[in-house]
Amino acid sequence: MSMQNPIIWVHGDCLSPRHPALAAYPGAPALFVWDEELLAALRVSLKRIVFMYECLLELPVTIRRGDVATEVLTFADERGADGIVTSDSPSPRFRRIRERLETALPVRVMPVEPFVRARQRLDLARFSRYWQAIQVEALSDSSDNAL
Amino acid sequence: MPGDMRRDFSDREELIAYLAAEFPAAAAESDAVSATIGGRQAAEARLAAMRPAPYAATRNFLSGAVTRLSAYIRHGVLSLAEVRRAALQAVTRPEEAAKLINELAWRDYWQRVYAEIGEGVWENREAYKTGLSASDYAPELPADIATGTTGLACMDAFSHDLISTGYLHNHARMWLAAYVVHWRRVAWQAGARWFLSHLLDGDPASNNLSWQWVASTFSHRPYIFNRENLERYSDGVYCRECPLRSNCPFDASYETLQARLFPDAPPPAAPRRRR
Repeated sequence: MSMQNPIIWVHGDCLSPRHPALAAYPGAPALFVWDEELLAALRVSLKRIVFMYECLLELPVTIRRGDVATEVLTFADERGADGIVTSDSPSPRFRRIRERLETALPVRVMPVEPFVRARQRLDLARFSRYWQAIQVEALSDSSDNAL
Repeated sequence: MPGDMRRDFSDREELIAYLAAEFPAAAAESDAVSATIGGRQAAEARLAAMRPAPYAATRNFLSGAVTRLSAYIRHGVLSLAEVRRAALQAVTRPEEAAKLINELAWRDYWQRVYAEIGEGVWENREAYKTGLSASDYAPELPADIATGTTGLACMDAFSHDLISTGYLHNHARMWLAAYVVHWRRVAWQAGARWFLSHLLDGDPASNNLSWQWVASTFSHRPYIFNRENLERYSDGVYCRECPLRSNCPFDASYETLQARLFPDAPPPAAPRRRR
């Protein structure tokens, strides 16, 4: 999937200037959208918005509000984009938005650097089993964790 | 362009006033603003101040050498991987960073579970091990907890801190959650929603699954504490001033509290004291 003129969708799970999409596509137009439905559903208080807004002000992004998929596609249309690049998230809401975007444009989801590279399938039934499986890796300074 | 939100502010006060006007429902929820500043620069300053060995020795004390990185990690301003690397670089032997990295691993673990179960973080993962059924727990947070007017100096302080700062020490979160679920018999979901409104690091995975860990719907037994534990790790600051200090609902042995709170619990459900 080759994108010549993508936009970047920045979401709340990756508000870093080292965002993998910002690094991979320097200069590409980037957008953050306040998810109004989510803010209302979670009854998010002002201090959380202020904190996130301060994070956003360090990023080269346009900031809008509304329905996220609609706003991202509008922004893509305004810029004549041929695709959307974003960063991965385990959130089911992220997945639903991504699926809506994919009905209109190709979406490239870039991984964020993992905490550790698990060498086997992890048993997530209890933390103790997970920690048993990863602790050597987690305490190792020599692992090839850099992407 | 029209529709774009502002990016130019002369100072923080102007930003806050703008956002309060743009998001009136959020300001109505609470117009308090945290002293914790968002952004990578602030995050890097906190990261540079991280001390893994003192953290391991003192982290359970409210006055302990905790990192205060959680909000930055939650929003990906810092990645878990880079905090892990910084922790290892800040010590001479990796074992000195083990406790801090173990706590980072909790977040990674919750995120991995979230990737598997999605909205299931809102549902009881398992039955309560308290001898009670889910329907025994009230669906809404009592007003005296939300407004910090229970009369318990500790819990009222935690409630006020949550709302005014958007932060609670991990141990305070556990005490408050245990009080809500086990002493007040309120469904953990009500407490989890309350925390997500206010915590700068509020995340459905870490937050909800930790509430479930306290509640016993994602652990082998309920988490409870007693006055001795709270008084020790809070350096006694609440108990000294508490109007209920001679009538404290937490002032008993774990065995007594267990019998009082969970009279119908199955035998092996000895309460866990702390993570």
